[in-house]
Amino acid sequence: MIGKLLSSDMVKIRHTWIWLLIVLGPVGVISLQAINYSLRYDYLVSKLKDQVWIGLLSDIKMLAVLALLFGITLVTSLIASIEHRQRSWKQLLALPVSRFNVYTSKYILSLFMMFIASLLLAVGSVLLGLLLGFGTNIPWSLLLMNSFYPFLAAIPILALQLWLSTVISNQAIPLTCGILGTILSVYSIRMPDWMPYKWPLLVNEANIPEYSVITGILIGLVVFLFSLVHFMRRDVD
Amino acid sequence: MWIEMTIWLRLFHAERLKLKKSSIGLLTMISPILAVLIGLLMSEQQPPEIQWLYLWSTMSTAHAILFLPLLAGVFSAFICRYEHMGGGWKQVLALPVPRSSLYTVKFTHVALLLGLTQVFFLIGAIAVGVIKGYVAPIPWSDLLRAFFSGWLATLPVAALQLFVSVSWSSFAAPLAINVMLTLPNMLIVNSEKYGPWYPWVQPALAMNGVDKYGAFNVSLSTLLFVIIGSFLLFLISGLVYFSRKEM
Repeated sequence: MIGKLLSSDMVKIRHTWIWLLIVLGPVGVISLQAINYSLRYDYLVSKLKDQVWIGLLSDIKMLAVLALLFGITLVTSLIASIEHRQRSWKQLLALPVSRFNVYTSKYILSLFMMFIASLLLAVGSVLLGLLLGFGTNIPWSLLLMNSFYPFLAAIPILALQLWLSTVISNQAIPLTCGILGTILSVYSIRMPDWMPYKWPLLVNEANIPEYSVITGILIGLVVFLFSLVHFMRRDVD
Repeated sequence: MWIEMTIWLRLFHAERLKLKKSSIGLLTMISPILAVLIGLLMSEQQPPEIQWLYLWSTMSTAHAILFLPLLAGVFSAFICRYEHMGGGWKQVLALPVPRSSLYTVKFTHVALLLGLTQVFFLIGAIAVGVIKGYVAPIPWSDLLRAFFSGWLATLPVAALQLFVSVSWSSFAAPLAINVMLTLPNMLIVNSEKYGPWYPWVQPALAMNGVDKYGAFNVSLSTLLFVIIGSFLLFLISGLVYFSRKEM
């Protein structure tokens, strides 16, 4: 059942902006760093010495977290507005499908989209490093952490944004919340560890990025379950 | 001439009615509220002479680099929402109103909403300074200049976003373009060479470059070519497009 819903959701987004966005996000981040590095190559490389890969990855992460949070905001809104725009929530729910599956399918779709974006970011990071002549001594584990950890830690934000976008038909409100959250996360370094908008930065007192990731996945599940229950009980328009 | 003015004013009034009781007023306060929190939490070690300007630049960083250009996009999409929903464009344009008037009325609303955001920001900055008990007198001319140039520098972004928002009925698609063009600000804002030429970063430069150039906080060539130039380009292309568009 959920498989069929997922494939119908995939068909719905086929000719939309979502795919373009998923590609343009990582490409944008990588090309901005490419420009940054090509303009100040000597300065940046001499500053980093033999740590060029680590330096490059941390520069990429800085922009990637911002792009990730903006991306989550936009993708969840686009996914929800497919139904809002055609006023098809009622139509969709009138079919012999459970609300549980309808909402879960949208959630899995959003996760899948952001996963693809993270994957593209990883590929792009490697390509950029190789292009800049940083050699093949790639710190693989750091690369994977850099590309996927922020996404996993941001799952609660994804769940929240999907819920807001689904429940509120005027997309200005979920989008503004997403923008606010993204900017909040830029400032969250000095905030306490319980702040969800700090988790994608992978910074915590214990200095173990896995803590942010595990909390992200768990709380993400909790937020998803709450929003799922709400979606199953509410009246749609 | 007279009749056109009356039509314009009536359209303006109609637009205001559509926005009445919507949440758009709340959206103008979000960035100022965040800026006030940042200002209140900021640490204080500055000598009294620069306290005000330091507060202003700390508070305006997020506001001008990200919020102003992004809000220009949100307001533009918001203002086209009623027409995109349920074929409102056809309904409005079936009335005896020139398309150009409708377009400029919409743009004026976006500009006014951005102005309102700036007003809240100015009030917020002064309130934080007063709460913190700054002894130095408020540097009114500096603050008002930054307030006004920041608003002016956001208008080109608003003009482009209105163009994109009237062409697509989706809310998030115009905003996606906006985000993609605004994100480079994070790097460009620090570049002396490229900063003055990138339209999306102008609000940040205009609000932060206190006391560098004459009456506006950006150089004359940036003002003429980048701000006014891109403003006219975006507004006129939007107007021409809207006048010919099939609804």
